[in-house]
Amino acid sequence: MTVAVVVAVALSNALLAQDDEVPERLDLANFPGEIVDKVVVPIPAEIFAVLDKLGESDWGSGVVIPSERAQTSERAILALTFGSLVGEGFIAVQAKDADNIQKIGRHVLLLSESLGLGSAVRPHSLSIIEAAGDREWDRVRDELDSTQQTVRETMERLRDDELSGLVSLGGWLRGTNVVTSFISESFNEDKAELLNQPGLISYFREMIGSMAGPSRASSEIRAIATGLARLESIISDEDMISEEDINELRDISRTMLEEYYFDEEVEESKSSETDPVN
Amino acid sequence: MILMQENSTSIRVASATVMLAMTFFLMGKAYAFVNEAISMAFEAATPYVEQGFEVREDNWAGEVEPGKPLLVRHQLFRGNEYWFWAGTSWPGATIKVDIFDSKGNSIGLESFSKGSFAGVRALPQKTATYFIRVVARHDAKKAAEEARRLGLPPAAEGVGEFTGTVDWGLVYGYR
Repeated sequence: MTVAVVVAVALSNALLAQDDEVPERLDLANFPGEIVDKVVVPIPAEIFAVLDKLGESDWGSGVVIPSERAQTSERAILALTFGSLVGEGFIAVQAKDADNIQKIGRHVLLLSESLGLGSAVRPHSLSIIEAAGDREWDRVRDELDSTQQTVRETMERLRDDELSGLVSLGGWLRGTNVVTSFISESFNEDKAELLNQPGLISYFREMIGSMAGPSRASSEIRAIATGLARLESIISDEDMISEEDINELRDISRTMLEEYYFDEEVEESKSSETDPVN
Repeated sequence: MILMQENSTSIRVASATVMLAMTFFLMGKAYAFVNEAISMAFEAATPYVEQGFEVREDNWAGEVEPGKPLLVRHQLFRGNEYWFWAGTSWPGATIKVDIFDSKGNSIGLESFSKGSFAGVRALPQKTATYFIRVVARHDAKKAAEEARRLGLPPAAEGVGEFTGTVDWGLVYGYR
């Protein structure tokens, strides 16, 4: 009995020691454990950080505060808009545009109130406005991330996972549109590679595909689903992303944003738009 | 680099204070809910914030059987440098984290594993989906010894008792 225990412990230790080594290669197709379902969507600032390293971008020209649309009560659209507006905030931080960040902070609060999440978002909104006034850009960036996280967590606690996913999608879409716009202005392959995100597009497509309820049939969500399918057909892990692809990605993402966020003919109405809040 | 406590039980005890602070504030950030393993992971990240790493709020967390590896998929961008930090708060539990590319090749450039904390650094050579492996382990004997040393009462049914899983949390930062 004692011998058996000693042998078992020795074997167990040997196995543990083996397992503790970092394997040079992992067989992903036969992974002997659990694949975690949750997908964390990168914030636009992660891509912006790379673009900044690859050269100067005129971030100021990328900020587009959309004019106020007729207020919708459709929560799915509000969630998408919320995510895109937070994405706009990341662009404005990159541009160090305090005025527009403060407008975004106020608009974010209004949207969160429409979503019934005003009390959770108010402290973040005030911090965004204050940090922009103090020109503390890292703090604004952190607060934007916190705002989005708070909203998503609150939605998830209310079992509104669909809405939480739409917040992420809205932010990703706005980030993708501005990145493709900048890359199309001065194309190079290093920048274009940043769009190599087939896993995320596939995740968003699955998310939209699994939506239940009346939102799924809305014209905006159907247009988003179509747009994602078009994006996916361009981006695949194997192929290099060409200049033509980038232009197409830019146009598709803009069309998708025009469904719920941008005014059409957005090029003519860049950051000089009327403040939707004041 | 990491402010390490001597053992994971003392971490758990101290975490009541640390957790409160880490839950509500990390470099001015506000967190909305309490998760001890995530708090541990954020604590591991704290020194790197001073090095310019932006630590994301979003994270992965859950419970897992000790020894059962977890695989997290995540999009990384070439041109950024990343750290992934993992934490567990269960007494007697330890955690490790590694990173692999889409072909399964290890790409970690630097790592540490100190009981309840672990971290791995990567500089992706390609913008793509990467795989982060997290492995948590539990040593019941060590947990009991630590509890005795700290003068904690022995586990009773349903209270402080090991139930077959340990908590885990994973966060990341980029610069």
